[in-house]
Amino acid sequence: MNSGIKVLLRQKKAMVGLVIVVALCLMALFAPIIAPNDPGARVGRSHQAPSIQHVLGTTKMGRDVYSQFVWGARSSLAVGFATGILITVLGTCIGLAGGYFGGRTDNTLDILTNAVLVIPNIPLLILLASFAGTVGPWAIMTIIALTSWPWGARMTRSQTLALRNREFVVAARMVGEPNWRIVFVEIVPNLLPLIALNLVGSIIYAIVAQTTLEYLGFGDPLNVTWGTMLYNAQNSSAIIVGAWWDIAVPCAGIVLVGLGLSLLNFTFDEIANPQLRSGPALKRWLRLNRQRVRMLEANQ
Amino acid sequence: MRIPLHRLAVYGVAFVFAIVVNFLVPRLMPGSPVDGMIAQLGPRATPAAIEAIKARFGAVEQPMWVQFLDYLKGLATLDLGVSVKYYPQTVVEVLGRSAGWTAFLVLTAIIFSLCIGTTLGALSAWRRGGRLDTVVSPLSIMMIAIPPVVIAVATLFTFGVALRWFPVGYAYNPNLDPGLNFTFFGSVFLHAIMPVLTLSPYLIGEFQTTMRTSMISVLGEDYVTMGRAKGLSETAVMFGYAARNALLPVLTNLALMLGAVFGGSIVTEIVFNYPGLGLTLYTASVARDYPVIQGQLLLMTFATLSANLLVDLIYGVVDPRIREART
Repeated sequence: MNSGIKVLLRQKKAMVGLVIVVALCLMALFAPIIAPNDPGARVGRSHQAPSIQHVLGTTKMGRDVYSQFVWGARSSLAVGFATGILITVLGTCIGLAGGYFGGRTDNTLDILTNAVLVIPNIPLLILLASFAGTVGPWAIMTIIALTSWPWGARMTRSQTLALRNREFVVAARMVGEPNWRIVFVEIVPNLLPLIALNLVGSIIYAIVAQTTLEYLGFGDPLNVTWGTMLYNAQNSSAIIVGAWWDIAVPCAGIVLVGLGLSLLNFTFDEIANPQLRSGPALKRWLRLNRQRVRMLEANQ
Repeated sequence: MRIPLHRLAVYGVAFVFAIVVNFLVPRLMPGSPVDGMIAQLGPRATPAAIEAIKARFGAVEQPMWVQFLDYLKGLATLDLGVSVKYYPQTVVEVLGRSAGWTAFLVLTAIIFSLCIGTTLGALSAWRRGGRLDTVVSPLSIMMIAIPPVVIAVATLFTFGVALRWFPVGYAYNPNLDPGLNFTFFGSVFLHAIMPVLTLSPYLIGEFQTTMRTSMISVLGEDYVTMGRAKGLSETAVMFGYAARNALLPVLTNLALMLGAVFGGSIVTEIVFNYPGLGLTLYTASVARDYPVIQGQLLLMTFATLSANLLVDLIYGVVDPRIREART
């Protein structure tokens, strides 16, 4: 894993992604300091363009878009990250259990995984959400997590299957180590890049799904998030009246998180599947080869 | 040619799951949706309609399993109940009206993106680390991370409102009579451009990523080396030997992605006011038209399952390794 962190730090893409994500998280964390005004307060006239008083303009209701953006980051990021973690834990556990124990457990879990995988998520989410009425962040988290763990479970399962018959696992089993220890001490460390990949992908998915649900009006309208900002903008026909700032600001937030996370993900993908690597590793290999050729020539 | 039993079990479980969710959710949620729906019907509520709704949503004095059997019987005869919003139209009628538009939108977007995405994926795998690869591959992963809502709203604002290039709603000009003539098709085409462009980035990103990964592993195969050794041209090896075989995993992924594509099409149709299943679902969810929402889930699950089954069948025909193993 140490080499993994080194690869991560060497990659410009990953660093840019990390900076974006950390900056947004800091913004959300320090919201009371950088946007001291109440995001729900009516501070100006309806749909004012960006100006010195309101750097990002106002909404239809005369609320400050900048304050809403900063405060909205809190809920959007918190729910996104928490849901992502939940999805990853579920997927990893189910994948590990199936891959490691094999046999009937694996068969059952594999059928379950693939079955949940083929059920269209968003229509299922809409069905659950519309019977529940408006759903708070906790319900959104649970619903998204319960419907979207299978991608991770599939990846984890196939990797675990490949690892379970490797020498070090067989040796640990012969020594008589308990199953939980083999799984968490011998297998999981080898899956870390994959779990990281799964985590980042799940956070991305959770943010997409959460935004979609809130945009459709299933979120709590009193809770300021980027998704409800979009919902309010859509309902106040901000697009048609040309109030682009009302739409563009929450969109920019969502795109930035997506961008940052996917830059990270790209790097994790290359660590987890070295075969896919295209950047520094390939160059390093070419450089080594060239040196070898040069040495051979010098020797002659 | 047979489909493995395992796959059939998967589809069976998925379909049963969708049915059970549909049956149980209204019965387990706190507060009965029935009163709301009867209120929604208002003066149109005939005793027969009220009975039908009560039976469907569990407000009857019958044990659970009898209700479930009745529910299954209804499904088997394609009776999905009546729509509350569009009463007396049935759910099947309401969904049938819009399913075609969604199918058109989704299929066009898939074909369009498949051509672009797989070509980009093949090219970037062929010259790994080259200029195209370093630009396109990270871009693809980013495109997957942007919610369709954002793309839809941005497209609508830029091309629909600011530039006024494309019409901003409906599937065709409402002043035209639908018919088999050039003006009508032109109108349909023009109205589909923005929704299709909205659905495509995600698909292109997915196709490019899968194709690149699969192509990279195929490039290590002996038959590619063989093609090169035979002195074939670059393009002949790339498309005739490698890309053809690398396409198979892309197909599998496509079938699995269909659920996500439906999710995207729901949002896209709402933003562009496009009369497909998504818009129907949205109006239904606003009006608490539960029978339509449920029918929608069943229909979309059925479509996704069929696509997966189809891919399984195609796999059996196209991939000689599987064809051999099964006979």
